[in-house]
Parts: sequence; C-alpha cells; structure tokens
Amino acid sequence: MNFVWISFVMVGLGILLFKNVDIAFSTLLNGSEKAIALTLKLWAIYAVWLGILKIVEDTGLNQKIGKLLNPIINKLFGKTDPETHNQIAINITSNLLGMGNACTPSGIKAMKGLDKGSDIATSSMIMLMILNTSSLQILPTTVIGLRVAAGSVDPNNIILPTLIATTVSTLSGILLCKLFEKIKNKKLKRNKKLNNNQANLPPATTNVFK
Amino acid sequence: MKFSSYLIPILIISLIAYSIYKKNNAYSSFVYGAKTSFDLVLTSFPYLVAIFIAVELFSVSGLSKLLSTALSPLFKILGIPLELSELILLKPFTGCGSLAVLENIFLNYGVDSYIARAGCAIVGSSEAIFYVTAVYFSQTKVKKFSYGIFVAIISSLLGVITSCLICKII
Repeated sequence: MNFVWISFVMVGLGILLFKNVDIAFSTLLNGSEKAIALTLKLWAIYAVWLGILKIVEDTGLNQKIGKLLNPIINKLFGKTDPETHNQIAINITSNLLGMGNACTPSGIKAMKGLDKGSDIATSSMIMLMILNTSSLQILPTTVIGLRVAAGSVDPNNIILPTLIATTVSTLSGILLCKLFEKIKNKKLKRNKKLNNNQANLPPATTNVFK
Repeated sequence: MKFSSYLIPILIISLIAYSIYKKNNAYSSFVYGAKTSFDLVLTSFPYLVAIFIAVELFSVSGLSKLLSTALSPLFKILGIPLELSELILLKPFTGCGSLAVLENIFLNYGVDSYIARAGCAIVGSSEAIFYVTAVYFSQTKVKKFSYGIFVAIISSLLGVITSCLICKII
C-alpha cells in the first residue's frame, strides 16, 4: 500500500506542478475535508451497528451460529485441532455478521494454528485466506448506512445484488481452491512415484548414465 | 416499500426479543458496543485522510482519465463500467479507501445511479485482498502463497463482474 500511495501522491502532485500549481494545496485540504465528513458518517453507522452486534455477542447467538457451521468447516479444512477449529468458527461467524473487529484476531490465531512451519502456504491456510478475502458478510451494513447518509430513495435495494455477488465470489473461490488443491496433490503423488522409481533403480545403471 | 426494507428492523426486533428471552441486558450491551465505535473510527480516520488525498490528486491531475482510457478495452470485454475503474483498482489494497472512492462516486453520479449501485455491490462483496492476506499471515512463517493470490484475485473479479451484471437487472 505504501508504494501505491506514494505513486498516487507523487505523480499527482508532479502533474499539478506543470498543469495548475495553485490548486495543489487546496486539493490536499479538500481530500482531508472529505475524509472528515466520511468519518462522521461512518461513526454514526459503526456506533449503531457495533451496539447491535454486541447484543448478538452477549446473548451467545454467534456461538450458536458457529456450532451450525461445524460440518462446513470440517468439509473445507479437513482435520484440524479443536482450538484451531474453534478459531475458524469464530472467524467465519464474525465475518458473516460483519463483525470486522472480531474476525481479524480469530483469523490470525486460526492461521497460526494451521501453520506447519513451512514457508509455503498449505491448502487449508489458503482456504482460510480465500474465505476472508472474498467477504462473507450477509448484510452490507456500512454500505447501506452510507447510502442512507447520501439520501438514497431506496438504500436497501443493494442487499440482494450484494448477496448474489458475494455468493458468486465466495463459491468460485472455494471451488478454485479445491481444484488447485487436487492438482497440487496429484503433482506431489507423481513426484513421489518418480522418486521411488529412481530409488529402485539398480546402482549399476545409474553409473552408466553418469 | 420492498421486502428488503423490512429486513433490518425485523432482525433487530427478533434479536432484542431473543435477548429478553436470554435474560440479557440489551441496553448495557448496546451501549458498550457503541462505545467501541470510537476506537474503530479513530483507527480508520488517518487512513481515510491519506486515501482521500491520494484519490483527489489522482482525479484532479487527470490521471484517472488516463487510466480509464487505458483500461477501457479490458473493462468493455468484462462488462464493467469505466467509472468504477478507480474503485476496482484500489479495492484490493484498502477497505477504507474503497469507502472513500464509493463516497466520491455518490457525489459525482448520485446514490441511486447504476454506477453507484454497482459500486455498492462491489464494495459489499469483496475485501482488501492484499491487506487481509498480509495481516492474516503476519504471525506465520509463510512467505509464498502458492495459488492463493491468484484465486483471490479471480474470485473477487468474478464478484465484480456479477455486481455489474446484477445491478443492471435488479
């Protein structure tokens, strides 16, 4: 992100130097003003929604949903130790409900639990990553809130399209993950067979090839 | 009004009813939760300023126009409106930033325009791929993501294409 930001600002300011220097600083202030306006709107949305989500948490509803997810987690991640399984359940549930601040810590813990110490991500680590990057949130509350604040006639008409788009991205992510996992496993098996064959070759023949 | 307008109020009513049944103090829970919004806003504000400044410079300097024309052939094939190019390019890096761009889209095209609705669906249906990946793997030794990044980009691109298509229909 550092690189992206630097290049945006440097190139933008650089062009303004030649094009229209007078508006350079006012553009910066303009951006900052817009950020403050948006922050206030977001604050209103977050305050209401985090309040409601806290009720969900305190009634234990999210743990109930987590239990319903057990078969799905077993199918997606295979065998995991109970602690990691639990963290994955918390991560997915808070993702579904849009509890952003709850899903990150559990996600990091789950990822740590899945870590086998190798520097290449395992298939279950990638599965967790894909679930989190493709967004599982059922109700796009922040976006709805921003639409309300901007004076939309029907702020809720975005729910269904978002739900469909999320489903498509998540399902395609899961399917692609499983596909790549199979390809990878096949390759591994083939390599193992090759290695075995080479190991079985009598030493004399290997000498000839040298 | 449509069904979707009833969804959130009904969910909240049933949640509070469930809370009463569970003998939980809904009021104090709500107040405590609302308090945590303070931290969230404080942490996201500096990012919003940074992104908004970058995005303003990007559009005022004429770079965003250049970029849109460069991307137009690809976006035409995928059925994505050019007005969303900034949003789609920033989205993988920053969640806050895409909210900033979305707010700009509201101002420029109107909240109820097709562009704004498609943008909403895109923001609601994907996450900041690179940011999430960096944070989630931060406590592990993993340095290579194998097919992970590729799948993440493809699946969120499919989400973008679906958003643009669906918003035309619904």
